Amino acid sequence: MIKKSLLALSLSALLAAPAYADLTINGFASIKAGMTLDSDDTLYGYDDSLDFKNESLFAVQLMSDLGDKLSVTAQLMGRGADDFDVDFEWAFISYQLTDEVRINAGRLRTPFYKYSDYRDVGYAYDWLRVPQSVYGLGFDNIEGVSLYHTTQLGNFDSSVQLIAGAYDGEASISGTEVNAEIKDILGITWELSQDWYSLRAAYLIGKVSVGAEAVSLQPGVTFGDFFNGLAGAGFSALVNEIDIVEEDGEFFGLGFTVDKNDWLVVAEYTTVKVDNSFIADQKNFYVSLGHRFDTITPYISYEKEDNPAKDEIYTPYQGSLPPSLLLPVVGIVQSQAREATTYNVGLRYDFHPSAAFKVQYSSEDNEIADLRQDVLAFGVDLVF
Amino acid sequence: MRIKYLSLLACALLSASVIADIAVVVHPSNANAVSADDLNRLFLGRTSSFADGSKATPLNLAEGAAARDEFDSKVLSRSSSQLKAYWSKLVFTGKGTPPKELADDAAVKAAVAADPTAVGYISSSSVDGSVKVVANF
Repeated sequence: MIKKSLLALSLSALLAAPAYADLTINGFASIKAGMTLDSDDTLYGYDDSLDFKNESLFAVQLMSDLGDKLSVTAQLMGRGADDFDVDFEWAFISYQLTDEVRINAGRLRTPFYKYSDYRDVGYAYDWLRVPQSVYGLGFDNIEGVSLYHTTQLGNFDSSVQLIAGAYDGEASISGTEVNAEIKDILGITWELSQDWYSLRAAYLIGKVSVGAEAVSLQPGVTFGDFFNGLAGAGFSALVNEIDIVEEDGEFFGLGFTVDKNDWLVVAEYTTVKVDNSFIADQKNFYVSLGHRFDTITPYISYEKEDNPAKDEIYTPYQGSLPPSLLLPVVGIVQSQAREATTYNVGLRYDFHPSAAFKVQYSSEDNEIADLRQDVLAFGVDLVF
Repeated sequence: MRIKYLSLLACALLSASVIADIAVVVHPSNANAVSADDLNRLFLGRTSSFADGSKATPLNLAEGAAARDEFDSKVLSRSSSQLKAYWSKLVFTGKGTPPKELADDAAVKAAVAADPTAVGYISSSSVDGSVKVVANF
């Protein structure tokens, strides 16, 4: 209810803007269906029955130009995965300080990746979905302020983004939704592009807190209970090594794109670290190769996740910690280990000036669980 | 032999006249030169000024207008789907808005004749004295 009245309020506020204000309405939508190819598999939110909801979404964007270089933008999105509940995905004011500098403030997208800003706008890229090995981090939005500086450096178009703000939302641990926060986010991204290629780097830091305490470790015992037990037994230093309370987080990303003679190459490499926490250090990358045959663009891609567990958290305690406490610690730390490779094959077909049909087959090999899972999905991305 | 050359030449001339059918137009008072590269930057939102630093307002033709496809493919070297994808990246991320679209050559001509900052394009056959041609494609 609150969400809806807020929505109505903001819509009426936008619509009630003075008559001379220029109101632009745009939108995008994705209708996608998919399923895993084996009865026990679950991947990307799909299981073995054909699902039309999981990756479908609708969004409407209202942009009102208030004149004097000031504008206000609200993007309202309903995701099938959230039962199409409408939420503000973006909501910001924008001020064009000079020809080269634009300041946005409000709810924005955290610029971790090359495709962060428009990952929901499927029409803007060829894949059916952005590579999940790299894009699966979460923490997509940020409330804060961003400064874009675009200029020409020799033959290059240079685009620098500085961002500061905070994330307050949810994260998923072992399937339980918990509160997650990143405070004091500071970041810089830099993209250089030429006619047929572009290079990008991103670096962000922040203070990460994840409320893992409520997650159950075993029936009747939560992480919080267990941490209290550890602290009570004199191991609060170990608790500090595991829990996620205002820990230093660091993200680094590199990427490049090539678009030459209708050949398309995209690759990104990212690292994620959260100090003094049980979150494994992540090194992930993907590379994608496609070719544009007029309206049909087939592509293949390869993704790799390398997230070794932080064994160094518990190894110093192997002599001193009683097994009843050591085993759960090992379990918690090892639960974050992940080694996986994924292959994708798909195509985009521009069957209409505003719509593209896509189909993609993905096969993920989880090396730790020794499990291969396959998903087939297809659908339409459009803009209006 | 000579006849063959002649017909080749005629072919070349004919196809040239088919190709050179877009005129890029500005206000008669605008003294700037406008290259294909400048047009790329202007119509892809990468700059909003002319060579002399003065403000430039690019004006597009609506999709489906005769000269639009020609302009997209010859000057911007992109298909209409590619351009739509390009603008989606900017529009839905607060980084830019595409040039205003006008319905036909007459509307572009009228807008350019009335605005010293405007730059547009029309079919060469629509050109008259109200606008100044700075490039042909």
